[in-house]
Amino acid sequence: MTRGAPPLTRRHLLAGAGGLGVSALAGCAERFWSRAENNGPDQVSLTIKTVPADDDAMASMIVSRFRENVEAAGIDVSPEPITESELYRDVLLEGEYDVFVIRYPGFDEFDDLYGLLHSQFVSEGGWQNPFHFSSVTADDLLEQQRTESGETRRETLAELFEYLAETTPFTVVAYPDRIGGTRQSIDAPAPPQRAIEFIDLLSTAPAAAGDRDGPLTVGIYGDGLTDRLNPIAVDRNRVPGLLDLVYAPLVRRPSESWEGAAGVASAHSPSNAEPVPPEEYVPWLADDVRWDDTGRLSATVSLRPGLTWHDGEPLDADDVAFTFRLLADTSLGTADSGIPAPRYRGRQTLVDTPDQIEVVDGLTLEIPFGTTTAPAAAQFLTVPILPEHIWEPRSELVAERQTRALTTNNDAPVGSGLLEFSEAGPEELVLEPVADHVLRDSVSTNVPAVLDGFPQFEGLRYNLSPNVGTMVDALLAGDVDVTASPLPPEQIESLADDNAISLLTAPSTSMYLIGYNTHHPELGNPNVRRILSRLIDREYIVSELFDGLATAPTTQESLLGYRDGDDRSEPLSLAGFPGTDGELDVERVRRLFDEIGYRYEDGVLLR
Amino acid sequence: MALASVVLQLALVVATMLVTAALVVIGPRRLVTALLDVRWRLEMCLLPVAALALVLFLRWSTVDIAVRIEHRVLGNNITPQLFELEQLLFPVNPVAVLQTFQSPELTSFFAFVYIYGYAFLLLFPIVAYFALETMDDLSTLLLAFTVNYTIGLACYVLFIAYGPRNFDPLLFEGLLYDGFPQMRRLTNQVNQSTNVFPSLHTSLSMTVFFLAWLTREKYPLWVPVSGVLAISIAVATMYLGIHWFSDVVAGTVLALISVYIGRSYSIRDLRRSIG
Repeated sequence: MTRGAPPLTRRHLLAGAGGLGVSALAGCAERFWSRAENNGPDQVSLTIKTVPADDDAMASMIVSRFRENVEAAGIDVSPEPITESELYRDVLLEGEYDVFVIRYPGFDEFDDLYGLLHSQFVSEGGWQNPFHFSSVTADDLLEQQRTESGETRRETLAELFEYLAETTPFTVVAYPDRIGGTRQSIDAPAPPQRAIEFIDLLSTAPAAAGDRDGPLTVGIYGDGLTDRLNPIAVDRNRVPGLLDLVYAPLVRRPSESWEGAAGVASAHSPSNAEPVPPEEYVPWLADDVRWDDTGRLSATVSLRPGLTWHDGEPLDADDVAFTFRLLADTSLGTADSGIPAPRYRGRQTLVDTPDQIEVVDGLTLEIPFGTTTAPAAAQFLTVPILPEHIWEPRSELVAERQTRALTTNNDAPVGSGLLEFSEAGPEELVLEPVADHVLRDSVSTNVPAVLDGFPQFEGLRYNLSPNVGTMVDALLAGDVDVTASPLPPEQIESLADDNAISLLTAPSTSMYLIGYNTHHPELGNPNVRRILSRLIDREYIVSELFDGLATAPTTQESLLGYRDGDDRSEPLSLAGFPGTDGELDVERVRRLFDEIGYRYEDGVLLR
Repeated sequence: MALASVVLQLALVVATMLVTAALVVIGPRRLVTALLDVRWRLEMCLLPVAALALVLFLRWSTVDIAVRIEHRVLGNNITPQLFELEQLLFPVNPVAVLQTFQSPELTSFFAFVYIYGYAFLLLFPIVAYFALETMDDLSTLLLAFTVNYTIGLACYVLFIAYGPRNFDPLLFEGLLYDGFPQMRRLTNQVNQSTNVFPSLHTSLSMTVFFLAWLTREKYPLWVPVSGVLAISIAVATMYLGIHWFSDVVAGTVLALISVYIGRSYSIRDLRRSIG
């Protein structure tokens, strides 16, 4: 074998030929270079993440409609179904998404927007600014509304909503009604969602005495529902009411969409666009909260005497102060600049630093809110209280910027609520009433009216189904008293023929929303987000997909998650769908994109 | 209806089918002969059985890890690509086309085939080849099953893919779980809804059918029976909205590879070539 010489010769030859070719095709070369140097404008492309249809059929259908319209607008869309816990990880913890569509349980207070949109949380995980939205204007208004009350706060909020309507970090598609079914003997005004609603059900005697023995059985469905019972994790804790029942808060917010002792006395229902005065909050672990707004706002919280954790340890003011410290920094000072909990963060910033919370004595705390206004500050007290003796050791670091408090599954939660965790299996999760709970003691003062008659059942049992059909079967078979997971409207028929079952529907403040990752090159542009938000016919979705069992947002506030009880409908151009009856007018959309400086080529929207 | 009753029902139906088919296709005489000298037969196919058991055990014991790797480490969600590919190839998605022929009878038939027919199709050849004079065909079958599982499960870790019904409920219907929600208790035990590409239902069924063809001289009656069942199962996976057309094609390719490996090598050969 002769190696060396021949390849060399061949290379020379090739180089010579190449040179000849290049000079001969000089014109072509120019085109080649310009192609190679500027890799031309590309099509705008987006992925849309949502849960698979098995987990939430309605979210999937909304994405289906949205995809068609966005595609017709010349954008390359890839819808990615992803299981709920992974979706929350991607969106809330990793920031790996362009657009997401989910059902959100709903806001309570205007101040919820602070945690959701303030740029101070731009790098934090959890429901803290998952959109990576950063705007000085919004920050200022969010801070300002915290310090104001009455008409001045209303004006600031109006300004904030106007600004957010223009910049659209997220948009509401529809407010689905709560839909469920119940056995007729159970007097449920709606499918229960919040802890206080479950407690109201447990306090109400079934219509036919002796009709039910044992626990109240609540039907829910989904995948891996009981895998994680960690109250401060965001990726999985989806059993309605569960963790708020086990972990009691200082006070509970009354419920907007529930008639009865647990509800807000409101002429209009439901509405979360009306601040609830702090006095209307239901005292729970605290038997008294005294607000002092002479000068800087502060609250003196008195705990009920004799409170204990489910494991028998006493509960005192130190546990409360500890909870706020843990939420602010789950490493309790070990990690640089702290590792905040991914939940309850927005509320936690209502006080300047958690260290300022003063433990006056074993049963009394003084919480300084500084310039915060009382309706917003009251939200701070609804955070579930955690036992220091269990969570303090969990502040240890297990990985970089991960504490055990965040990674633990918390398989056997120990709280201080009226119900304690008993057992969880693949088909059920059982809570038992705590017999000697202080709230059930006749000598206790200021006992909430909702506890009148508590308990009429031997606890609460969640019946777990793998899918919605199985849950409906369990209800029809009499294995379930009331359903809590939302029933898609198409399932209503299956309940209609059964006389022992009543259908429950009630308007709600939960919502399907489209969220945008403003770190995406195109979605960073508020004009693009505003047009995208118009590419779904909300009225059509409500009438065709929800069979009318939902409400379409029609005002600036309701497009941002705050629905008004009286639904004043003035059609809003910002939400205006460019088309009719769900059919998109492609020419109009193209003009919209054209107006904000985008170009089309062969029907493709270019970057 | 809890899991136990769903499983019991499956066991009863499949056992009835197995007994009937054994009497008709294998014949009482062969069955009796086989039962008389079980021992050497078992010894002969011990190795492939162990290999299959090992793969199934590994899968069962590493489900948590596999799911974590699939989602957190690799995170290749190919669902939109499967949808777009089929949009490119067909004017209307094959799954949607099949679902236009929807009727309650057809849905019941395909649901039956998908659950009961499939279990029967996988179990019967094990009995049938066990009753033959040599254990070669049984070893081939078991090795092919093992290869199917190994490659299929590797793909499941590599790719996250949801089936049509989970992707877009306005275009595709989830007929199986709409009509028979309880079946989810059963399928949840053996599968996750992201295990879609390739279709192991198709690949294992096709493997049985291809091997039935290769052993047609021994069991001529089994060829048409397994053929009809295997094709029905492949169609059922699409009709019921569980799999994409691409999954079925990939499943069929996987079946061909598995049969090829099963025929060309025995576990003994593999061990010799490694050793």
